[in-house]
Formats: sequence, C-alpha cells, structure tokens
Amino acid sequence: MIEKLTPSRVIFNIINYSFMILLCIVCIAPVWHILMASFSDPRTMMATPGLFSRIVGKPTLEGYRIVLSSPSILTGYRNTLFYVTAATLLGVVMIAIGGFVLSRKTKLQTPLTLMLVFTMMFSGGLIPSYIVNMNLGLLGNPLALIIPGCINGFYVIIMKNSFSQISPSFEESAKLDGAGPLTILVRIQLPLVKATVAVIVMFLVVQHWNSWFPASIYLTRRRDLWPLQLFMREILVQNDTKMISADEAASSASLVNNLVKHCVTVVGTLPILFAYPFAQKYFVKGLTLGGVKG
Amino acid sequence: MSKTSAQAAPQKRMRSGTSWKRDFRLNWGIYLIFLPVFVYLIIFNYLPMFGIVMAFQDFKPARGFLGSEWVGLANFVEFFSSSSFLQIIRNTLVISTLGLSVGMVTAILFTLLLNEIKFSWFKRPVQTITYMPNFISAVVIAGMVIDFTSSNGIVTNFLVNVFGMERENMLTNPSYFWGINLVSGLWQGLGASSIIYISALGNVSEELNEAAVIDGANRLRRAWHITLPAIRPTIATMLIMNVGSLLNVGSDKILLLYNPTIYSTADVISTHVTRMGLERMQYGYSAAVGLFNSVVGTILLVSSNYISRKLADTSIF
Repeated sequence: MIEKLTPSRVIFNIINYSFMILLCIVCIAPVWHILMASFSDPRTMMATPGLFSRIVGKPTLEGYRIVLSSPSILTGYRNTLFYVTAATLLGVVMIAIGGFVLSRKTKLQTPLTLMLVFTMMFSGGLIPSYIVNMNLGLLGNPLALIIPGCINGFYVIIMKNSFSQISPSFEESAKLDGAGPLTILVRIQLPLVKATVAVIVMFLVVQHWNSWFPASIYLTRRRDLWPLQLFMREILVQNDTKMISADEAASSASLVNNLVKHCVTVVGTLPILFAYPFAQKYFVKGLTLGGVKG
Repeated sequence: MSKTSAQAAPQKRMRSGTSWKRDFRLNWGIYLIFLPVFVYLIIFNYLPMFGIVMAFQDFKPARGFLGSEWVGLANFVEFFSSSSFLQIIRNTLVISTLGLSVGMVTAILFTLLLNEIKFSWFKRPVQTITYMPNFISAVVIAGMVIDFTSSNGIVTNFLVNVFGMERENMLTNPSYFWGINLVSGLWQGLGASSIIYISALGNVSEELNEAAVIDGANRLRRAWHITLPAIRPTIATMLIMNVGSLLNVGSDKILLLYNPTIYSTADVISTHVTRMGLERMQYGYSAAVGLFNSVVGTILLVSSNYISRKLADTSIF
C-alpha cells in the first residue's frame, strides 16, 4: 500500500520501531542475564550490580560441573524425560481417539460431546480429585503425573474440528474394503491432520516439561520420582542448595549457591527454549485454533 | 465449535430416523474405541464431581465419601464467616481483574502497534521474541522474581535508585505483591496473548484499508474503524473465556511466590484451597471452598457468554 511519509508518520514510525526493540530487550534481558551469570565468576558477580550483558569476571564452568554431577539433577532430568514422553504419548492417543469418535455422525455424537464439554465448564475441584486419585493408589505413584489430566477437553475439540473437515470420501472406499474404525483413524484420518497432531504434541511436551504442581502433591515424599521442576523449586524458590553443594566448603557456599541457581535455571529451561524457534509455527497455529474455535 | 462440525460433513443419513439398534450395529466399533476416553472421563472428571458431596461432610479419608459424617452447610458457614473470607475474595478479584484487563488491553495495543510495522523481517522476530517467555516454567519465573526483588535484587535496586523506594525484600511487603504478580504475568504473557489477535487481523481486507486511505482516513481512524472491528469477535471470545476463569487465578505462580508475611494480599481462593486441603488436611472445608469457586466460575462463564451473544453476537457455546 502506498502512503505518503508525512513528518508525523515518520515520528510515529521511529517511536513504534524503538518501542518494539525495547520490548524485545525487556523480554530477552532477564534470560540473557541468567545465561551470562551462569558462566560468571561468583565473587565478581556479587560485586556487579544490574543486568549482565556479558560474562563478568573470569569465565567459569564450575557451576555446570556441580549441577551436572549432582545426582538429584540427573534423577530429575531422567524422570522428567520419562514423564514428558509417557504423558504426551498417552495424551495424544486419547485426544486423537476422542476427537475422532466425536467427529463421527453417530447417534451418540451429541451426548458424548456434551459429556466432554461439561467437564470443561465445571470441575469437581482440586480436593475431590485428590481424594479420588488417592483412593486409586496414585499417591507416591509415578502414574499420578501421567494418567490424570491426560485428556484436555480443548484439544479434543480442536482435534474433532480437524477431523470433521476431512471429506468423507476419503474413508468411503476403505469402509467398502471392510476397514474398522481404528484402521480408518490410524491409516487414513490421522495422516490428514498431521499438523493439528503436531500442535497438540508440542503443547503437551511444554506443559509436562514445565509442570510441577501435581508432582508436589502426589509425589511429596518420593524424591527419587521427582521431576526436574521440583528440584528446581527447591533450589530456586525454597533457596535450598544443600543437596547440590553439600561437598563444597561451607565458607564459599553462598557464593556457589548463587552460581548454581543460574546454572540450574539454564539447564532446566534451555531444552524447551532451544526447541521453541523450530516449533514456533506450530505453536502459533495451535493458539489460533484454540482461540478461534475452542 | 458446533457450527464447524455441522457444516463439515453433510452426511445426514445416520442422524434421523435410524433406530438405536441399527446405529449400534453400524457404529459399535467407534463406540468401542471410545471406551478408554469414556472410562477416563468417568473416573477423573465425573467421580470428583460426585466427590463434591464431601463439601457437606466432615470428611475422613478412611471412611470415604459414603461413610463420613454429614455436617450440612457447616463448611460453607465456616468459610463465609472466617476472618480471611473477605480478604481472599478481594485478593482473587483484584488479582484476576487486574491481570485480565491490563493483560487484554496491552495485548490489543501491542497487536495494533505491530500491525503498523510493514516489514515482516522485523515483525517476525519481534513476535518470536515476545512469545518466548511463555515457555519458561512457573518455577523458573518464580525463581527469577524472587531473585530480582530480593533486598539486593535488580528490580529492587532500580526502584531504590530511581524512585527512592525503601530497600527491602519486596516479596515480604504486602503492598508490592499485586504489582509484582501483574508485571511478571505481563512479561510472560504479552506475546502469547497477542498472537490470537494478530492472526485474527489476517482477515482484514487490504482493499478496505486502501479505500479508507483514499477517503482520507488517517492511521488512528483506520485502527479504530477497520482493525478493531475485525478483531472484535476474537476480543469477545477471549473476554468470555477470561471472565469465566476470573476466580481461577493462576495459582501456580502465587503458590511459589507467596509466604505468610504477604497472605493479606497474596492469598487467593485456589491457594487457600491448596493450603487448607493438602497441608492442613481440612478436606471437607477446602472442598466446600472449591465448590463455591467452581459454581461462581460456571455462572460467570455462562452469563458472560450470554451477554456477549446478546451484545456482540459472539459466543463460544
């Protein structure tokens, strides 16, 4: 579109572009600060105020050495990887089945959809769910992080909408060949909604990677089953680094603590942030799907 | 959502006039594969709904839902008459209304400003970067907030030097919590919540804009008369969903950030439920508080949906 560059327009553009750049700096600066601090010399770091734009003092990998050799962090990493994989797999299978069945024109389509939608509008709440899960033997059980919450109503509806947009002619011939619903779902329909499945997988991975609350109430005493986020909570929020730096000399403990905190943050956040630029188009798509149709 | 499913596949043969028997003979396979989902919904969604009866009981886990002693409305009375009731309701409403209004307004403003940028090589990275904080976990966000607002933290230093604030650990002063929670929420959510509006802008026709330019409409008028109306349905949808969850303040971050010294401004319904229920084991009482929360939430959702349908002709169900 052609438009004259009036003086006021130029001024507006300058302000607008500067504002956007400033906003980006505000978004990146805290994360960058932590990344730089994680390589910085702890003693110099204490004496340097403000946000770091570069590594201060002598660069060191000491913090990472401590963090990556800590059994707790490794346990947390291993558990998180397991939970993310298992919960995402189970979730996507259930969501795909749910979306598929609810997109079929059967006599139970409306009642079953209503049954699902009602759970999105009203819930029993935290405590009754906790009691039910407790009675199912999920206290101190890793399944507590995998099964409850594996079906998200919004995702099922998104999936359902995707399936209903597929032309019925795709499955007609398969039906004539005697294919059952599971075959139709897996062989014919799922490949056609790959993009939606990818969106949902991404969201589930991020959600499970970052989740800490269910673990904190169901696995309170089972440290061996804790996901990474719970160990991170202990270090970053409860300010308790003794499980990590027990072997360090007590005098330098608080210095090392500070370094360890930054390293733990990086170690726990980097995998998701690294994957993010590659996955961004899916996330954008997913949010759009959820917002417009959910 | 029902609209799309109705338009999509015009195969009506099963809908009307078929007997249940025929339907089951044709579709038993479909119903069979739905079984795991059905069982899941019953156990993990509907069973807890029936478990709400514990809100009317002096619930003892050993006795279960059926064996516990019935106490009528005692749990509700205890909540409504407790000294912290008004405080909790106030905190919940203030924190969520602040987050909702400021969050939506800034996201829409950001969208309008970003829309004025014509170079996609500039626009894309801005979107990517502002969306990024959304992927950082609540634990890490809380860790950062705690670090930056400690008595020697970066934010504290800034406020002390620039505004002459008294130096202290900001998370121990009740008057700062709403601000801390709002700003950290904006930092994390601005990019993510604007994406929905940005994608809705894809629907604005270029011709409309050009016609407006010819008619002499300036930027501001075009933003007001073309861009905003284009995203109005989206704004309405988001508003309904947000109002519906007004009482469900994201307790994740608050649970990580708050401490007894700032309960007076930081304790909200969901944190109260978590604390009373899971730490003090007052199951019946906290289930009652949770039920109150659910019911008000559902009423808010349904009524905001109704109002939006009447006023803006947009609804989500």
